[in-house]
Amino acid sequence: MNLFYRLILRPLRRERLRTALTVLAVALGVAAVLSIELAGQAAVGSFRSSLETLTGSANLEVTAPGGIPPEAFARVATAPYALKLHPRIEDYGVIAGEIRRTVPIIGIDVINVDMTSEGALGGAPLAADASTFSNVWLNESVWASSGLGYKNGDRIRLLINDTASDFTVRGLLNDPAGETILMDLAPATRLLRRGGRLDRILIEAPPTHSMEEWETLLRQSLPEGVAIARQGAQTEENRRMLDAFRWNLRVLSYVSLAVGAFLIYNTISVSLVRRRFEIGILRALGTPRAAILAGFLGEAGCFGLLGGIAGIVLGRAMSEGAVKLVASTVESLYFSSRPAPISLTWETALLGIAIGIGVSLVSALGPAWEASRVAPVEAMARGRREHQARVNRWRTAAAAVILALAAWIASQQSAVNGKPLYGYLCALLSIGATALLIPALVSALAAITAGLIRRVFGVEALLATRSLAGSLRRTSVLVATLSTAIAVLTAVGIMVGSFRETVLVWMDDILQADLFLTPAVPAGADRHPTMSAEIPAQIAHLPEVEAIDRLRTYEVRYEGLPVTLGGMDSHSGARRRKTSFLSGAPTEGVMRQLIGSDVVIVSEPFANKHRVRVGDSLTLSLGGKLHSFRILDVYYDYSSERGVILMDRATLLRYLPGDEPTNVAVYLKPGVSLEQGQRAVERVIAGRGVAIVRNRTLRDQGIQVFDRTFAITYVLEALAVFVAITGVGGALLALVIDRRGEFGLLRFLGAADRQIRRIILFEAGLLGALANIAGVTLGLILSLLLIRVINKQSFGWTIQFHWPVLVLLSALSIVYAATILSALYPARIATRLVPIEVIHEE
Amino acid sequence: MGTLRLDHINKDYVTEGIPVPALHDVSLEFHAGEFVALVGRSGCGKSTLLNLAGVMDFPTSGTVWLDGMNTSMLKDAALTQVRRDKVGFIFQSFQLLPTLSVIENVELPLMLAGGPHPRAVASERLRWVEMDAYADRMPHQLSGGQMQRVAIARALANAPSLLLADEPTGNLDNATSAVILALLRRIADEMETIVLMATHSLEAAALADTIVTLQDGRVQSVSPMQRLTGKH
Repeated sequence: MNLFYRLILRPLRRERLRTALTVLAVALGVAAVLSIELAGQAAVGSFRSSLETLTGSANLEVTAPGGIPPEAFARVATAPYALKLHPRIEDYGVIAGEIRRTVPIIGIDVINVDMTSEGALGGAPLAADASTFSNVWLNESVWASSGLGYKNGDRIRLLINDTASDFTVRGLLNDPAGETILMDLAPATRLLRRGGRLDRILIEAPPTHSMEEWETLLRQSLPEGVAIARQGAQTEENRRMLDAFRWNLRVLSYVSLAVGAFLIYNTISVSLVRRRFEIGILRALGTPRAAILAGFLGEAGCFGLLGGIAGIVLGRAMSEGAVKLVASTVESLYFSSRPAPISLTWETALLGIAIGIGVSLVSALGPAWEASRVAPVEAMARGRREHQARVNRWRTAAAAVILALAAWIASQQSAVNGKPLYGYLCALLSIGATALLIPALVSALAAITAGLIRRVFGVEALLATRSLAGSLRRTSVLVATLSTAIAVLTAVGIMVGSFRETVLVWMDDILQADLFLTPAVPAGADRHPTMSAEIPAQIAHLPEVEAIDRLRTYEVRYEGLPVTLGGMDSHSGARRRKTSFLSGAPTEGVMRQLIGSDVVIVSEPFANKHRVRVGDSLTLSLGGKLHSFRILDVYYDYSSERGVILMDRATLLRYLPGDEPTNVAVYLKPGVSLEQGQRAVERVIAGRGVAIVRNRTLRDQGIQVFDRTFAITYVLEALAVFVAITGVGGALLALVIDRRGEFGLLRFLGAADRQIRRIILFEAGLLGALANIAGVTLGLILSLLLIRVINKQSFGWTIQFHWPVLVLLSALSIVYAATILSALYPARIATRLVPIEVIHEE
Repeated sequence: MGTLRLDHINKDYVTEGIPVPALHDVSLEFHAGEFVALVGRSGCGKSTLLNLAGVMDFPTSGTVWLDGMNTSMLKDAALTQVRRDKVGFIFQSFQLLPTLSVIENVELPLMLAGGPHPRAVASERLRWVEMDAYADRMPHQLSGGQMQRVAIARALANAPSLLLADEPTGNLDNATSAVILALLRRIADEMETIVLMATHSLEAAALADTIVTLQDGRVQSVSPMQRLTGKH
């Protein structure tokens, strides 16, 4: 213990800046991982809670894509079993007012409900007595979650689809964290335009049979297209859809941790360099190797513990921002979601500390082992020969080739349970291969450029180059770390840039109309609010309007996963839409084939997720019955990660009668200005909850959603780069200490302060340049991997490769400048060395 | 011509706030071509005297004059210039940079000074110490004696008027030491350089023109070689 205090703890206390920087690096790494974990949990948690409100003790649920027809409910209700049925309609609406709040709206059978025993209503019955249940009373009554802040008797205006209606709050749901509005089935059916269909029937089955038996028994009573499952099963399936998204975020968050690990490696290396003399004395006095090893691992453990604790605090704070970004992405791409409160549990806190300590110990193992192998005589001589690279660059280059081959093989493999595990492995192997190639790269570049560098930049550059090539092991680790951060920056930059460009081109194609109408309530991946059918009919007759294109979308399920099903005006779309198909077929031809046939086109993510191709048949459960559709073509689509199936509107109406469109695209006649057209359409929709958006605005909104979706990746990248640059500064400090004798000698030989400074800055510049060369090359490979393998397997999108030159150049320049700036402090230390002292140490 | 004059030099080091005297009222003067041996026990101030003479350190009081210039008055940049132009150093442990080849090591002071044709000058110096055949080798490919000859070539690169050698034969065997000492003697004789050598070896000191004996930071004696050894 005394040894640990003298050798490790005392120096840590003395060198506060170094200790603080290292702890900060670990803390940032841990914080990145924890914040993503907490944010992901919060987003998923809220998803579960918002739809699972008031499910009581139901243990089974009946669902049907496009709604459960009344006859199916009747069959279950008349089944000869003692079942309690809770029919429900579930959707979203907006509380009108200053703060427009989107809330789940649940319609239940208020008259027959008995949920007070569940405590869902705070112990109060829905109504004082049954005599109050008149139709009028029911139609204007709602019950609100206590968390919404209403009290009995309050008036509330709800915007549902395109209609605003006023209600009276009749009671509060004992649901402080929830934001649900409950109403009777009748107004819910009318306002949500369900046409007598239900969204879900919750069933309380008695324990006379097992759940499997109940499922089997009840399935026999139900039509073919109606599904029965354990209550919450769909929620589970939905949540699994988020896995790929959460996985990718997690992996990105681990990059910061990996880069932070390097700083630990470096810090322990610095400790070793500084205490080599002490270690030599201790070893000469009989201290066993194990004690030295334990001492240095103990130092890393201290960094890990402190970093872990700080990381928990930091991660909790960062998760507040992260959850907004994650939830926004979940909302736009997956499901309606409102972030649940972030809950930092003991388990999560312990995980943070375990990550901090674990990463620190693993990364310190190398230098700690080296410390324990220090020969006493060598250490006390303080020579630097033992630091010389003992790297066989050709052997490592050969290993790099093997890793690269393995990476290529991994890149050719399919996803495992929808997760691109081989893609991640390929990324890891590529990073490893690049790291192993770096010694050869450094040596080759040093040899090739030696003459040129000396001629152009002078003796300082020559010394810097030789020094880096001379300490090959350290240089290689440093370049590998910085290049990994740069590679991730480049790869994600290229991927996001390419994706953005692809989406921009795609939006140019699909947004052909001049004006777009949607219900004023916010839509989401699983929310399809509609507008009255007469609105498009009236707009189509306006003299300013040439044509309209209606789209009706539904949330349906295919193979247990949620999918968007849409019906569009193929006839009008044939001439005006511009859809790109994987087959390369012209839009008009495909659209015309859709008319009047049971054929569909599917989006690329749908085809990839469900492994279907052109010519395959899809069986969809629509309106409680099963129907087959042939896939006519697959089209590029970036609006939904879940996948879209599109058919002609008339075909869809045959199976799901609902004339109210979700969106209407308006094409103005030639010569009609946007202002004129918009004014004319506004006159039609006046007083209705319908929003009108211009083509350009919709495009801008689309790209805003895109940028918001990827904002979190930029944050995680910036974090990784920050940690890496801190690492470079620390590593250069270690180099200065290690080479203090050399700097002392140079002063004896007539080197000026500025020359010493220039050597260090050149080294930083060369490190930055090497890291940029390796990083950009690796980044390019990783970007192809991200675009062609990981994205494809996770989300199924085709992204056209695009170099975001300006963004990349700016980012890389900033990183490069920061790398050089990080060398200023080590350079200052180098100029302050006392030559006589350091020369005589040698 | 080159001269080195130390005028009432005092040097104290401060250790934990307490001044520890290293040199006390040292006054010496040497001239071009003079080979001087500094002898005395460890810690007597030999290395301190070399560092002060080579303007690597400042005296606590007193003045160091090199070629008629009062170096105590010079700022850091000017001192660096003095070291580049007028002083060469040789160390016991050779101190060649392991990452540079032999010729690059010799070129180094010339390049740091920004002098013209460093390669040609370095080649000439290597020829002078008979190491030109090893120009492209790396230091670790040389023997101790060869490394010290390269170090001497490097010290001579800028044709200094003062060559400071701190125990130059401390790491060498007798035969190799003799070669190195002979080289130092030649430098003084042929290049008219003041050679100031700190040594523990009486054999090494025997080759010097003047022997300065230091004890506890004071000059105990300044004597021609023959007085110390009893020979002529």
